[in-house]
Amino acid sequence: MIGVLKSMATTMKHALDGTTFTVEYPKTAPDVSPRFRGVHKFSQERCIWCRQCENVCPNDTIQIVMDDQRNGEQYNLHIGQCVYCRLCEEVCPVDAILLTQNFEFTADTKHEFVYNKEQLKSVPWYKDIDPLESREPDRGAWIGEGEGEVDYQ
Amino acid sequence: MNAAIAPLQNGDTVLLPERIGELTGLSEFGIAGELIAAFLGAFIVANLMLAMTGVAGPWAKRKITAAFTDRIAVNHIGPGGILIIVADAVRLLSKENIIPENADRPAYDLAPIVIAGSALLGFAVIPMGSGIHLADPEVGLAFVFAVAGIASIGLVMAGYASGNKYSMLGGLRAVAQNIAYEIPLVVTGMSVVLFAGSLRMSEIVAVQNETTLFTIPGLEWAVPAWFALVNPFAFVLFLIANFAEVGRNPFDMPEAPAELIAGYQTEYSSVYFVLVYLGEFLHIFLGGAIIATIFLGGPAGPGPAELGIVWFLLKIWAVFLLTQWLRSAVPRVRIDQLIEIGWKGLLVLSFANLALTAAIVGLIA
Amino acid sequence: MSTGAEADVEADADLVHDELEGVIGDRALARDDHVNAPGFVVNPDDVQDVLVDLRDEAGYDHCSCVTAQQYDDRFETIYHLKKYADPTDEVSIVVPTSLSEPVSQSAEPVYRTADWHEREAYDLVGIEYEGHPDLRRILLPETWQGHPLSADYDQEKPQIVTLSEHANPLEPDHRDPESDTMFLNVGPHHPATHGVLHVKTVLDGETIADLEPDIGYLHRCEEQMCQQGTYRHQIMPYPDRWDYVSSGLLNEWAYARAIEDLADIEVPEYAQVIRTLGAELCRIASHMLALGTFALDVYGEFTATFMYTFRDREIVQDLLEDLTGQRMMFNYFRVGGVAWDLPEPREEFFEQARDFLDELPAKVAEYNDLITTNEIFQTRCIDTGVLEPDVAKDYGCTGPVARGSGVDYDLRRDDPYGYYESLEWDVVTRDGCDNYARVLCRMEEVEESAKIVEQCLDLLEDWPEDDREIQANVPRTLKPDADAETYRAVEAAKGELGIYIRSDGTDKPARFKIRSPCFSNLSALAEMSEGEYIPDLIASLGSLDIVLGEVDR
Repeated sequence: MIGVLKSMATTMKHALDGTTFTVEYPKTAPDVSPRFRGVHKFSQERCIWCRQCENVCPNDTIQIVMDDQRNGEQYNLHIGQCVYCRLCEEVCPVDAILLTQNFEFTADTKHEFVYNKEQLKSVPWYKDIDPLESREPDRGAWIGEGEGEVDYQ
Repeated sequence: MNAAIAPLQNGDTVLLPERIGELTGLSEFGIAGELIAAFLGAFIVANLMLAMTGVAGPWAKRKITAAFTDRIAVNHIGPGGILIIVADAVRLLSKENIIPENADRPAYDLAPIVIAGSALLGFAVIPMGSGIHLADPEVGLAFVFAVAGIASIGLVMAGYASGNKYSMLGGLRAVAQNIAYEIPLVVTGMSVVLFAGSLRMSEIVAVQNETTLFTIPGLEWAVPAWFALVNPFAFVLFLIANFAEVGRNPFDMPEAPAELIAGYQTEYSSVYFVLVYLGEFLHIFLGGAIIATIFLGGPAGPGPAELGIVWFLLKIWAVFLLTQWLRSAVPRVRIDQLIEIGWKGLLVLSFANLALTAAIVGLIA
Repeated sequence: MSTGAEADVEADADLVHDELEGVIGDRALARDDHVNAPGFVVNPDDVQDVLVDLRDEAGYDHCSCVTAQQYDDRFETIYHLKKYADPTDEVSIVVPTSLSEPVSQSAEPVYRTADWHEREAYDLVGIEYEGHPDLRRILLPETWQGHPLSADYDQEKPQIVTLSEHANPLEPDHRDPESDTMFLNVGPHHPATHGVLHVKTVLDGETIADLEPDIGYLHRCEEQMCQQGTYRHQIMPYPDRWDYVSSGLLNEWAYARAIEDLADIEVPEYAQVIRTLGAELCRIASHMLALGTFALDVYGEFTATFMYTFRDREIVQDLLEDLTGQRMMFNYFRVGGVAWDLPEPREEFFEQARDFLDELPAKVAEYNDLITTNEIFQTRCIDTGVLEPDVAKDYGCTGPVARGSGVDYDLRRDDPYGYYESLEWDVVTRDGCDNYARVLCRMEEVEESAKIVEQCLDLLEDWPEDDREIQANVPRTLKPDADAETYRAVEAAKGELGIYIRSDGTDKPARFKIRSPCFSNLSALAEMSEGEYIPDLIASLGSLDIVLGEVDR
């Protein structure tokens, strides 16, 4: 009986102290960590069409179409199929693709999740966090060039 | 707070239908008028109770559970989220009523009505204070137990008629549980009757409030002889048996969400589900009403007698709160353990309690 | 690992070989040593003989995994045997069968756990096992045509199954006047099956007369997906999706360990400490969830315990999000290290982690008040779902399930990897063998994990700034030697998570086999629940803490 009463006392303590740990999403936007991996952002200006991201992608999420002179024509990414592993960003030598913190996206059909390069370009930053800054320390190993300001727009 | 317990006037036998009859002049029309007055009275009481379950089910229960689990709960529609009741009502009633192909009709359709109706019927003899008292038969207490017991038939009907194995298991559990706990419940109730010397509800209430158990020295506050204070042992027994009777934790075997999906109500949807759901809450409230009446002095409380209904509802809600509290903290027992507690524990204890009470009452007399 | 230790290992291995050769004798047709263990090729007709001798004479009481695969010229079944007392003492029994007649003797009479493993081998690869009591498909539907991992399987061909061949789920009930039992489907849609598990139960009243878990609803061809990915990058995202309830890093470690073993990659010590830290955080999160869902199963849906455990799990999740960049699908480990160093500013991360550790004892005390000391909880859990140690071993149970039955088996200590060897912590075992023991075992493991995390934090704080190497230098294309085989296991949240990899010299594995702890643990469910009541079945299922993503893969 004492154990039962102890259990009841424990829950009552929680009921009376009035604290809650849930948040009212979407009224309160959750904090995401700077490293959080969300929807991709793509910069055509920076891309050198090396196709490494397409190669490394574990489940063929990225599709690149080039003409016969190896100029990039299309860069399509299915954000509904993506597993958000960040390997594309990791192998990209020029920071042309990176994952923003943006995790909110909706569509009526799954086909609308196939983003082309223009859509990928206009993906907004989440709360104006530039993920590059938080990932800078270890990105040095991958990025030979591309120092300074990066303009994705 | 000096001697503030409002005494219930003895011989206050003006029942609600009579009062309505006099107020509206219906009593002049003979039996037909009395009947209409009675219906009006019943309508008022039933709606009061249904409104309470309406508040409890979609809103209060969510708020209480959320408080226990450190969550926020409904707060968007209306002040404190109270209008969720309207939203939920619209949502539930506008859903399609799906009836299983091999449901046994009309038992399937009747079950929700039986479950909800039996509980409502019980309120007929409960004195709620402020003159809200529909009928006061001599066998009041026996009547309450009898109609509350009808609910078991509803549960079995629901369980059997749904044509679902989970429902059937739930229905069977409900029977086993109700048989095991009805007897201790009634026997413990009998000990109160021994004290009060009557089955009439108004008298049971009156006896509790007329006698003084003891006076707290200094405060000069006369503690009335509520049976919960006179015989706490019987009170605890009755509480436990009542939880089993209404099927709440730790005895919510007939539903047992993790085991039997939702037990006897698995196949009910839309309006039927609302009825079953309301019926459950009505039963908790009826259990609370019985406890309040026979153990907690009914509508008695500090302040003028007109406040009786407030005190009475407060007592009912206290019992409801207790069920929710237990729900958050106490695991469900197993069916065999439940039966064991019922037959080997509560039954024996309740008879011991009865014998003891009889002896004491006999000695005093 | 220094070369001296390697020499020791080799010397030991030779000794073991001699002994084993003595036991197996001339039934060994050839040697087929794997990277992790000696291997012996055995005739398909000698399987039971050899295994009985190995179990009874040499003491190999743990049939960890059964791998089946197809070569160009033969089918092959590999029994990975270990000892519960010393899991580093391994041996592989390789049983080749011809392509035309893939029949080999079943190991089921020797190790009960081989039952399900062989059914899976039959299902996916197509080897038949003679003497198996119940050789049916296990992951795929009964009506499936062909065996997907066999060479002649046509991946393009759609599986068209007409409804008449299906067992109609809406079949009307029938009553057998002779019988007084009732058949009840628990699942696949049931609140207490933790996913899509289907348990076929036969009830006698409320007592369970017979029980059979039916799995495969969440089969996602994880093995084949891994076989189509490159070692270097493309496999690592998948382990997160096996046991997907927050034990991702533990799963990633299983693959990382196997491939690092196979390709002989040295992981920097600093990375090992970070890995250990992350893995133990995952274990805490996973055990919290196990505790919460178990409470759900025993209490009902309005339990406070579930929310409290989630509150605490949430803190761990936040830490892991800061560290790895994702809440559950971490993809944080890399072959030869980890993807990122600790998040900047480091002090903040350390502070958050330490705050959590400081608050943990009070929270554990609260859980004890709330759950374990509750008498009703005790009457529900003590002496229900009893799994005797011998039975647990026979079914290949590992992790908290085995440790709750008093089997002192923890790969972190017995087959050390990462940084565990240099840290102070204890393996938790309980002798209760029941649901209660398993719950207590998990709760105490949370405390042990907290100890490990604390020590890791100390180490990381004081680590010299110039030695923070997070990844070994691994070539961008990894091609282990052709025909190198290894079976490596780590202690995941649910038990021994093993990976078998066979390389064919390309940058993708030729065979990738996952030994899932939940798979083996779940197979013991019938043993635990028969003769008990439905509520006990639900509680036992909850105390096994299965994740169907890992069971079905």
